[in-house]
Amino acid sequence: MSAIPSEAGSLTRPGLGWPLILLGSALVVFVCLFPFVWMGVSSIKELRELYTIPPHWWPENPTLANYEKVIFQSNIPRYFLNSIIISVGSTGLALILAIFAANGFARFRFRGQAFWQSCVLVGQLLPTAAIIVPLFITLRVLGLVNTYWGLIMVYMIITLPLSVWMLTSYFRAIPIELEEAAIVDGASRLRILFAITLPLSLPGIMAVLVYAFITTWNEFIFALCFATDSSVKTLPIGLAEFSTEFNTDWGAVMAASMVMTVPIALLFLIFQKHFVGGLTAGATKG
Amino acid sequence: MRSNAGLVFALPALVVLFMLIAYPVVYTGWLSVTDDQGNLVGLKNFSAVLRPRVTTQALWNTLWWVAGSIVFQVLLGVATAILLNQNFPGRALVRSVALVPWIIPGIVAATTWAWMFHTEFGIINYMMTGVGILPEPIGWLTRGDTVLPAMIAINVWKLFPFVAIMVLAALQSIPNDLYEAARMDGANYWGEIRHVMLPQIRPVVTAVTLLLVIWGLNAITIIYAITRGGPANRTLITPIQIFRLAFEAVEFNQAAALSVLFFAVVMVVVFVYIRLLADRAGEGT
Repeated sequence: MSAIPSEAGSLTRPGLGWPLILLGSALVVFVCLFPFVWMGVSSIKELRELYTIPPHWWPENPTLANYEKVIFQSNIPRYFLNSIIISVGSTGLALILAIFAANGFARFRFRGQAFWQSCVLVGQLLPTAAIIVPLFITLRVLGLVNTYWGLIMVYMIITLPLSVWMLTSYFRAIPIELEEAAIVDGASRLRILFAITLPLSLPGIMAVLVYAFITTWNEFIFALCFATDSSVKTLPIGLAEFSTEFNTDWGAVMAASMVMTVPIALLFLIFQKHFVGGLTAGATKG
Repeated sequence: MRSNAGLVFALPALVVLFMLIAYPVVYTGWLSVTDDQGNLVGLKNFSAVLRPRVTTQALWNTLWWVAGSIVFQVLLGVATAILLNQNFPGRALVRSVALVPWIIPGIVAATTWAWMFHTEFGIINYMMTGVGILPEPIGWLTRGDTVLPAMIAINVWKLFPFVAIMVLAALQSIPNDLYEAARMDGANYWGEIRHVMLPQIRPVVTAVTLLLVIWGLNAITIIYAITRGGPANRTLITPIQIFRLAFEAVEFNQAAALSVLFFAVVMVVVFVYIRLLADRAGEGT
């Protein structure tokens, strides 16, 4: 059975009837998209127009002043860079560890395998609130509070469990005969992993990459506790600072929100198909 | 093949998970029975953290938050999945758009909705008074009786797409024979939903609900960013209480005691749920 839900396998019978489909679709599109659109509209309004009653649906004088403020008069560019460094670092590390672990789980039988696999799953279910205090103390002892490495490590472990599960189900879906043929030819396990398994599971690897990157990019609470110095703060923290000041500059906040959301939305759009397929496979099967 | 090479491959990931997950959990247990000098104090931290009325209030808030979120997340998610399982032009587009809330970072969702819920300049009050649902604008985020429902609405908006994707994947793997059999028995589309789709997606809905319970119990971002648990603790859920105890009051040991209790509850939920899943699988449906 394929791990990816296929477009072609879906049903072709009209069941709900056109009026219901049309109404439902319109509702879904409006509910899901409107806050994002309103964010965009608010970000190009002049200050005066943001605080107008009744609100205007479209700005009279669209302006990029809020973006100028965010890009040239705030710490947001620095936080953007920090976010990229931390997301890339932790995603890369999580991916490497997950590839090896998933290969071990998918292709070998060993003592205690079920137990170790459940341990990985429990890692996914642990409540943040229960581990944040000791994690903070551990990082402090290791001198990793307010460092890139601290956040990279923390994010790596957050994304590792689901990454391992997603990749394990992907690796299992690859016909084992291909690897057996290579063993007969005398290839080592590592060679098989890199020459056969990895190229064949590229969509799964993409899915893990996107999942880990988005999770890291969006994370707020750990960053709030472990990065209190502006040299390592990430975008979510920068955004929260914008909006918790006594007098919130909503135009700038909406512009900063756009700056933070657009890259992740583009990444998602490009890899959407792999991402959704890999996630459903990882979260519901395994 | 049977060899310990598999364990060798998995070892680095397991070691990392152990160091940064298992160790903190054990360490939390230790912190919960000591004071800030490291002396054993028995259950003093537990009684200190359980006594105030705010702890009970936070527990109730957490229950409302999780239960309220999940009911709507699952209902809307399943309904959306059934809609997206239809074949109609533009389906792919609707499907992509439906994922937007899930991709938007939690903090961005929180700030954007806070702006939309704004009492004077918010678009929600404007739209609702405009069509006559509300006679006058209300202070969604400042009133005690609307603030938690508002938070739940944001959480539902954020996560129902996730339910929809998962259920959609399950719907697409239902064999056509089942529908044909149902139609032979004279079922219309609603009958198919009831007798074919819902039973078939039940395992996925169960699994996803477990994830939603865990995420709900974990969720801090939306509430913390908008209200920090206020006004008057009306949105204070237990994870936020732990967070504030640790990082605002700097009572690490009491925070650890509350974490231990919280962790125990979460593990009970997980255990009951896994048992439930296993029992259902045993029914042979």
